[in-house]
Amino acid sequence: MDRFITWIDERLPVSNFVKNHLSQYYAPKNFNFFYYFGALAIFIFILQIVTGIFLTINYKPDAASAFASVEYIMRDVEWGWLIRYLHSTGASFFFVVIYLHMFRAMLYGSYKNPRELLWLFGMLIFVLLMAEAFMGYLLPWGQMSYWGAQVIISLFGAIPYIGESLALWIRGDYVISDATLNRFFAFHVIALPLLLFALIYLHLAALHTNGSNNPDGIEIKKNKDANGVPLDGIPFHPYYTVKDIFGLSVFLLIFTFVVFFMPELGGYFLEKDNFVPADPLKTPEHIVPVWYFTPFYAILRAIPDKVGGVLAMGAAIFVLFVLPWIDRCSVKSIRYRGTSYKVLLTLFVISFFGLGYIGMNPATPVLTWIGRLFTLIYFGFFVALYFTSANEKTKEPPDRVTMHD
Amino acid sequence: MIRILLIIAVMLLPIHAFTASQPMPLKSVLIDLNNKSSLQRGAQIYVNNCLGCHTLKYQRYIKFVDHLELPTETIENNLIFTTNKDGEATKIGSLILNSVNPDHAIEAFGVMPPDLTLIARSRGADWLYTFLTSFYKDETRPLGVNNSLYSNVGMPHVLVWMEGLKKQSLETGGYEYINKGTMTPVEYDKAMTDLVNFLVYVAEPAQLDRYRIGFWVILFLGVFSFIAFLLKSEYWKDVK
Repeated sequence: MDRFITWIDERLPVSNFVKNHLSQYYAPKNFNFFYYFGALAIFIFILQIVTGIFLTINYKPDAASAFASVEYIMRDVEWGWLIRYLHSTGASFFFVVIYLHMFRAMLYGSYKNPRELLWLFGMLIFVLLMAEAFMGYLLPWGQMSYWGAQVIISLFGAIPYIGESLALWIRGDYVISDATLNRFFAFHVIALPLLLFALIYLHLAALHTNGSNNPDGIEIKKNKDANGVPLDGIPFHPYYTVKDIFGLSVFLLIFTFVVFFMPELGGYFLEKDNFVPADPLKTPEHIVPVWYFTPFYAILRAIPDKVGGVLAMGAAIFVLFVLPWIDRCSVKSIRYRGTSYKVLLTLFVISFFGLGYIGMNPATPVLTWIGRLFTLIYFGFFVALYFTSANEKTKEPPDRVTMHD
Repeated sequence: MIRILLIIAVMLLPIHAFTASQPMPLKSVLIDLNNKSSLQRGAQIYVNNCLGCHTLKYQRYIKFVDHLELPTETIENNLIFTTNKDGEATKIGSLILNSVNPDHAIEAFGVMPPDLTLIARSRGADWLYTFLTSFYKDETRPLGVNNSLYSNVGMPHVLVWMEGLKKQSLETGGYEYINKGTMTPVEYDKAMTDLVNFLVYVAEPAQLDRYRIGFWVILFLGVFSFIAFLLKSEYWKDVK
């Protein structure tokens, strides 16, 4: 066995890789609940790829037979219903996990120097994931698939001068049609997953360059022992592998509960209208995007002007990219930051949930006005943060990490 | 106070929110997919009364063998009434189709009668139950009936021979029967429960498996989580 490993190592440095990234990769020992979600996101990514492959085996990317092929999977393919529910529930849980993962970064300042690039890669993953989810949602070819795509792609038409031809170019037709379905299928199963894979690799490479941040927001590499091992670090394997196995099993408990007992989750994960085949001549009463898009959709609707709405929605995502440069506070963790940040972040979270709720519901005048207020708070967070963060009244972070549990 | 708030809330809502939504509260129906005889009766009512116009085109007859616990011969003799072009009886592995000519259907009803395989998922069981029990006499409609839940529906009251015909009573707002069917109102409600039960099953046959399997999955993961927790605690007891 040793000879075999030596033989491999001389040709491919596997042992070194394991050492550098697992058994002698030192992670801060004070990770809390929020630090499960990175590993969980990778798990879901793999789950989506694997279930996706099995779905592709029986799915037909053809406007005439797509809907029926999904029902074929649900009924006639052995375990097809399970594979499909794992995939559809996985999509929603992907966003639950990613939103919590991003929120963690905002809590503990994980996007700050020296991890700005890590954050940028993460944001790119987030944007691609939204594209991936959006295109995947068209594939069942139900009413909501069809009309949701119709609405979202028509947004591109709002861009001055090139808008209409851009929308036409994306659809490959004047309306959502077979051509659109075919290209979305290609993007959903090949192009975007490949890009996501590459970006996840870069995200992890950037992470392992400086190591993880932690709930105290201090660099564990500043305190090392004689061997150069961080005093507050523990080897990722076995400590975090066993911890993540525990986290994963609890996650799976919740995840499979939804898969087996409430795969539609009351219409939030699988919308009722999507059990009606796409009909280009019949618009559903309320066209609502899936829940994970609704905060941004609410921002779009908050602006009375179409171009303005599209720009606001784009800005709402873009502003997150530059967060590391908007937040000028040198203290990372919310534990040692000033009251202003705590208040701002709370308001931001409330506005995000509020916008999500408003985006799910039909636009009434009252909701639209509340939506405008929340949109203001959403953007206000970044503006206020830019001005308050430079002179924030912070506490002195400790030299060594603290353990709370 | 609550009433005033409700009235204000209602007044603030735009009118179009109401025109398209349901004008009446839904009656609730108890779904029990383990009640095989109810599913069987539902299938019988469906095939005898609904299938003539409404296909179940994603479902195969053969699924009834396991799911409804019906012997192959019973299905072939009692549930399959269609043939192929050569006059041979439809095979049990076939999808549940009918022989409606779309042109004729559109001429008669204005629309092609929709496929109902997934109707219970898009409308919900309560909606179906309420719809099926809400037909009433209305001479102003071409087919002589209307539906309180789905006004101006293009469908005739096919089950009038079972239920009888009722008309809306202007004084009470309720219904009164003007002629009797083969069933009492209680029997008809029970029959509709069976029919809706069947439609809920057809919309997602996987329900028969997923609750059962889900129980064991959750049980396994519960035990696994506990063991994983012990393992984690064992490793982490040295970390201070």
